[in-house]
Parts: sequence; structure tokens; C-alpha cells
Amino acid sequence: MATTAISTKKKTVRMNGCVASAQAAKYADVDVITAYPIRPYTATMMALAQMVANGELDAEYIVADSEHSQLSIAHGASSSGARVFTGSSGVGVQFAYELYSPISGSRMPVQMMIADRTLDPPGDFGSEHTDALSTRDMGWLMGWACDAQEAFDNHLMAYRIGEDPRVLLPQMVCQDGFFVSHITTDVELPDPGQVKEFLPPYKHPYPLDPRHPVSHGPQIMPEQGPPLQLERARAMEGSMTVIEQVHDEFAQIFGRKYDPWVEEFMTDGAEVVFFMQGGHAVTARFAIQHLRDEGVKVGLVRLRTIRPYPTDRVNKVLSKFKVVGVIETNMGLGSVSSGGSLYAEACAALYESPQHPLVISFMAGMGGEAIVLKEFYWMTKKMMEAQKRGKIEKRTHWVGFEE
Amino acid sequence: MPVIEVQRQQLPILDSPNQGARFYNPDLPSSEPFVPGHRTCAGCGPAIQYRMTSKASGDNTILVGPTGCMYVANSSYLCTPYNVPWAHTQIGSAGSFTAGVAAAYEAMIRKGKWKGTFPNIICEAGDGSASDIGLASISGALYRNHDCLIICYDNEQYANTGIQASSRTPYGGMTTFSPPGPKVPEAKTLYPKDLARMMAAGHPHCYVATASVGYPIDLMNKVRKGLNHRGAAYLMVYTPCQKGFVYETPRSIDLGRLVVECGLYPIWEWNPEKRAYDYSFRPQSMRPVSDYLKLQGRFGHLHAEHIANLQKFANEQWRMMGVELPEALSQAADVKNQVNMAAAAEAEVVAQTL
Ligand SMILES: Cc1ncc(C[n+]2csc(CCOP(=O)(O)OP(=O)(O)O)c2C)c(N)n1
Ligand code: SF4
Ligand SMILES: [Mg+2]
Repeated sequence: MATTAISTKKKTVRMNGCVASAQAAKYADVDVITAYPIRPYTATMMALAQMVANGELDAEYIVADSEHSQLSIAHGASSSGARVFTGSSGVGVQFAYELYSPISGSRMPVQMMIADRTLDPPGDFGSEHTDALSTRDMGWLMGWACDAQEAFDNHLMAYRIGEDPRVLLPQMVCQDGFFVSHITTDVELPDPGQVKEFLPPYKHPYPLDPRHPVSHGPQIMPEQGPPLQLERARAMEGSMTVIEQVHDEFAQIFGRKYDPWVEEFMTDGAEVVFFMQGGHAVTARFAIQHLRDEGVKVGLVRLRTIRPYPTDRVNKVLSKFKVVGVIETNMGLGSVSSGGSLYAEACAALYESPQHPLVISFMAGMGGEAIVLKEFYWMTKKMMEAQKRGKIEKRTHWVGFEE
Repeated sequence: MPVIEVQRQQLPILDSPNQGARFYNPDLPSSEPFVPGHRTCAGCGPAIQYRMTSKASGDNTILVGPTGCMYVANSSYLCTPYNVPWAHTQIGSAGSFTAGVAAAYEAMIRKGKWKGTFPNIICEAGDGSASDIGLASISGALYRNHDCLIICYDNEQYANTGIQASSRTPYGGMTTFSPPGPKVPEAKTLYPKDLARMMAAGHPHCYVATASVGYPIDLMNKVRKGLNHRGAAYLMVYTPCQKGFVYETPRSIDLGRLVVECGLYPIWEWNPEKRAYDYSFRPQSMRPVSDYLKLQGRFGHLHAEHIANLQKFANEQWRMMGVELPEALSQAADVKNQVNMAAAAEAEVVAQTL
């Protein structure tokens, strides 16, 4: 891989997560953008509308009549060979539900930005990951950023991964509503030359092009289902190698190195760890630093990519500890833990490990409440008690509702 | 960034638009974007329409097919009848998926990412898709004026799911969701949604027209006018379905003419430049609705009063078209002058067994 010439147009600008996502779409030179208003992701589409109005970005900007239409527009445009950007939040993510499987099934690398929002009822603007997580098995690559810079970077990497001919899958690039989407931080915007080097133009092998007629999505007989489903499953599995390659290349060109699967924070010598995704990890780092100063052996494992799920990696990392506290930030009503859905996946990943840590599910950050430092301390205490006891008190704790 | 001007197609309009299906027009293009190899029923009106429509559009065309018979019965994996690019989309995505294709080509041509003349982009939506579940998506595409043509092939029911009532099913039409019975002798009690007029009224900048498979040259010309129109166009085409209407297979084109001759399917155009309807299309003769109804099993249960109601409905359509009503048709709207369908009693028994 060639290294970049000294970049001259790199700049650091203060912006929130929503604007960082819009900037990423601009750097990716998207062709078709489709929007429908719902807070908090709207701010991304507002920023893009302004860029198009200013002539900074040449793209078709389509105000759709619903999220279902948004995703269908994205599907049609991507099928025709255009690079597409769309997004949503909360119930908007679910209004479009029908389209998730058709888009991944037709192997169209549509990109969707999610700024999480709690589902109704009742109407609540706060962040909860249930919106995007409810689509997690639909064949979309999916991961969470914890700050605006990471959101920007994830968008560029996701296009590169999803459009790779070995992958061809849509991507959900998620960030917490408000905690990331509306908190302003420094974001380094790259030199356009770096992006050019990193992200080649989108080229689907079989677009809807009158010069090379193809049929997309004809009706099948049941016996034709298994091979097609297997192919989609293999694309998802096979994306793991590409994801790792792309993260390496990103680091070479942009100088920011991310572990594609999990971030480990102060896990050296840790006995109990938080296992979580998204913006609350920023608070978790503070809490852990403070607890470490007091001699508590606590650390953080932050999941960056949840689809494809890094099963082996999660197994390897989490097996090192005595207790794992899963912070859910999502609803899994009546699920395995009767809490959220992350617990079951973590436990399944750990199942084949000879040494099982104890696993606890913490229902925290629900409804978009901030998870404050003292709650992290309380959860640490629960994990330490379990470690001492050699047994969990119960599978799920609703944080803030117990002593 | 290069900004390239988008080149668009202009298709010629054919002569003799009011001729019947057996009239040979030497100017018809020889290209066949819709070829044999599908599984539609014999005499399928929507499939006949598909062939005419795509022929009129030519090879630089992209077709979009929301779920319905023209998806399910047309396309089999590894064997589809489309000689031009075609994509399935969801039944509620007729207008939106099509808008995405159009937007992609606008951007890709303008930005120099695709070189060529803007393709004809046609969506073939059933009436269930167009009048119910995909209505908002089509309205969105028309409103935003994407350069595309949305066709509703109107077989007046959800055919592919086994004949259910849609907003386009006529009053008196028997379907599996609107069966006749002692409490509801007429079967479907509601009149059809005036979909094409709704599209014209709500999106007056669009070319909007109605057509029928009974008048192929007129249909093809309307396809071309819709495609030549810079922006969105909407076309609603009467396409009988022998499975749901229950008629003799070879009579699809006849029904396509009878439905117009009896006034149940007014043929008109909305001219977006003049912001006016053009009602000048006239069938060669006018007939009572019973001539049309009696050929179809779906109306076999109707009683005199229901037929009179349908005649009243047809007479209103004639008046709306500005046609002076012959005395015989006014008379036919009077229940005293109607008789029950010959097989009404038997038809009800058959309906009970469905
Ligand atoms: C979201 C959704 N709901 C229901 C269906 C089931 N469905 C498949 S085909 C069809 C009938 C479509 O009717 P229409 O649009 O009139 O087309 P036709 O079958 O008459 O050609 C329906 C309802 C579906 N495919 N998707
Ligand atoms: S059921 Fe009707 S619309 Fe469907 S293929 Fe048969 S004739 Fe055509
Ligand atoms: Mg139909």
C-alpha cells in the first residue's frame, strides 16, 4: 500500500456526531442522499442539505415520504450503481423494517447512519440501542462509535468494507443519540487526497444498466433458497478478513488505529470488566480510571462491531476475567436474561471457553438516561460481590432501582 | 467536478391510435424487451400490457417490478422474461425504488460516473400496490417529479395472493375478500378509488393518463408521451385477469374494449402544460354495462338493482367525459329495465364453495 504524500488540507474542526457523519458522506462523494425527519439523526441530514445547497457536494438530495420510502430509494439508487447515504433514529428505523432484508439480500452496499433513540411508547428523545439492534440479524454490517471522530472514521471504513466485491453488504453506522450525535468535540477532517486513496469509487458488479441487462431479485423455488441464504451468510462471515484489512489500511493512511472488534481499556490485571458499546464508554473510562486509582481491578471492553459478531475475539478477551458486567442500553423483553439482548450474545460467545467468567446484565442508560459515575461505581461493587461470592446474585439488575 | 448535461430520449408517436388490437402498424418497433419464458396465465391482461409497454419504450429501459403477478408470475430465478435490466422491489416501494433509480442516473450522468443517454425508467405496479400499500410512495415520486413513468396495471384486485378486493375492485365485484352472501348480495359494496384522477389532481405537473389493453396503439403512445415528458408520469391501464374476472381466455382484448365502450373505464389524458384534461378519446360504440358484466363470472351473482347501480356509475363517467347520454343508457340505469344475471342463483352457490 502506497503511503500518503504530506497532506496539506487536513484540518481539525469542532463538530458534533451528526455533523461528523454528514462530513463523512461528503468526503465519500455520495451520489444520492435520502432523508426523512426524526430526531436526533435529523441534524446529519440538515447539514447535508446545506452542503448541497452551497454547492459543496454534488448529490441528489431526496426528501422521502417515509422511512420505508427512504430505504427503498436507497435500494433503487444503490442497485443502479450510485453511492447512497441515508439514516434514521428510533421508530424511523423500524418504519423501514421491511427493506433491511431485501437490501442485504440483493447485496447492495447502502449506508445508513443511526443516531439511536428510544422506541415509543412513550415518546422519548433519549438514546437506547433497541432501534438498530432490532435489525441486527438482517444482514447489515453494524457497529457503534463512541465519539464524533470515531463516527466519521467508521463511515469511511464502512463504505470501503461494504462495497468490497468480496463483501457487498449494507452498513449501519451507529452512534448514541445526543451523547455522541449532539456533543461537540474536535474532529480531524482528512485531506481529500487521503480519502481518494482509501476509498475507490463505488462499482457494483451487476448494476441496473441498460447496456448489460440483469434481473435483480426474481422469484425463487424453495430449494433455491438455501444456497442464496448461505451465500449471504458467507458474505457476512467473509467480511471479517476485509474488516481487519480495511482497519489496517485506514491506520496507515489516516494515522488512527482502531481495533476493529473491541477496545480494551485498562484491562491489564483487571478482574472485573464492563462489556458495552457506544457513547457511555466515555464515562466508563473516567469511572475506571478513578476506581483504578483506588486499587479496584476493573476494566472496560467496548464492542465496536456487533455484526459480524466477533465471537472468537469476545471469547478470548472476556475469558481472561472473573466477572463481566454487560451494560445493555437496549430492551430484550422476555429475553434470556429478561433484560437486554447483549447478554445472551456475550454468554453464547463465552460458552466454549473452558473458563467461564460470571456474567451479569445491567439495565442502564434506559430511556436515554445518562449512566453517571456513581452508577458505574455501584455496578463495579455488584461485580466485585459476585466475584467474592463466586456466584451472581441475579442475572439482571435494573440500575437505579436497587440498593 | 465535471457537470455533464443529461441527454434524454425522445420517442416518436405512432399513427392510428384508436385502432383495435388486430390492426397492424408497420411503425411498431421490432425490439422485444419482454419475451416469453414467464408463468403468467394464458391471456393474462397485465402480461399483454407489459409486452406493449416495454416495446414502446425500447431497449434503453430499466424496469421496476413491485411484488404482484408481474413479479411473481413473470420472473423465475435464472429464467426471467426481461431483456432489459429489471429489479424486483417491495409492494409498497413502487414509487420510492423507482425514484432511487432515476436519482442515481441523474447524479451518475451529471458527475460523469455513467456515460450514455438517460434510460427510460418504468415501474410496473399492480393496482393493489398503486392504490393501497404503495400509494404514498408513488405520490412521493410524482410530487418530486423524478424522470420516470409509473404504470398501474389495473386488474382491479390483488390477483397474486388469490384474488382479493383492492381499492380498485369495482362495485359488485366478487373476490375472496368480498364474496356475495345473503347479507351482502352485491359482494363488493364500495366503488373503486378514482386513482388516476387523484394522481392528476395532486400532481398537476405530471403527465397522467388512462389506457386499456383493448387499444394497443393508444397505450403505446401514452407510454411514449409519459416517457418523453420531462419529469414524472403516471399511467393507469385496464388489464383484465382471467383468473379473477373468470372469463374465456381469448377475450382479454375484447374486454379491454367493452369496458371502455360501456363507460366503466373512461380513457383520458391530463395535459400538464395546459393544466387540463383531454376527453377527446371516443370508443367506436357505446353499450350498456350488462354487455360487459355478463362475460365475467365475478359479476355472475348480480341482481337487477346492482346492475342498475353500475349503469348509474357508468353514466356519471360519460357525463364527466362530456358525452351526451343516449336515452337507452339512461333507461338502463332504472332497475325496472334490468334483470338478474342469468346465473345469479348458481353463481352464489359457487361463491360459497370458494
Ligand atoms: C408487505 C407485503 N404485504 C403483502 C404482500 C403479499 N402480496 C404479494 S402479491 C400481492 C398482490 C398484489 O396485488 P397487485 O398490486 O394488485 O398486483 P397483482 O397481483 O394483482 O398483479 C400481495 C398483497 C407482500 N408481498 N408484501
Ligand atoms: S392471476 Fe391474473 S394477473 Fe396473475 S398471471 Fe393470471 S391472469 Fe395474469
Ligand atoms: Mg392487481
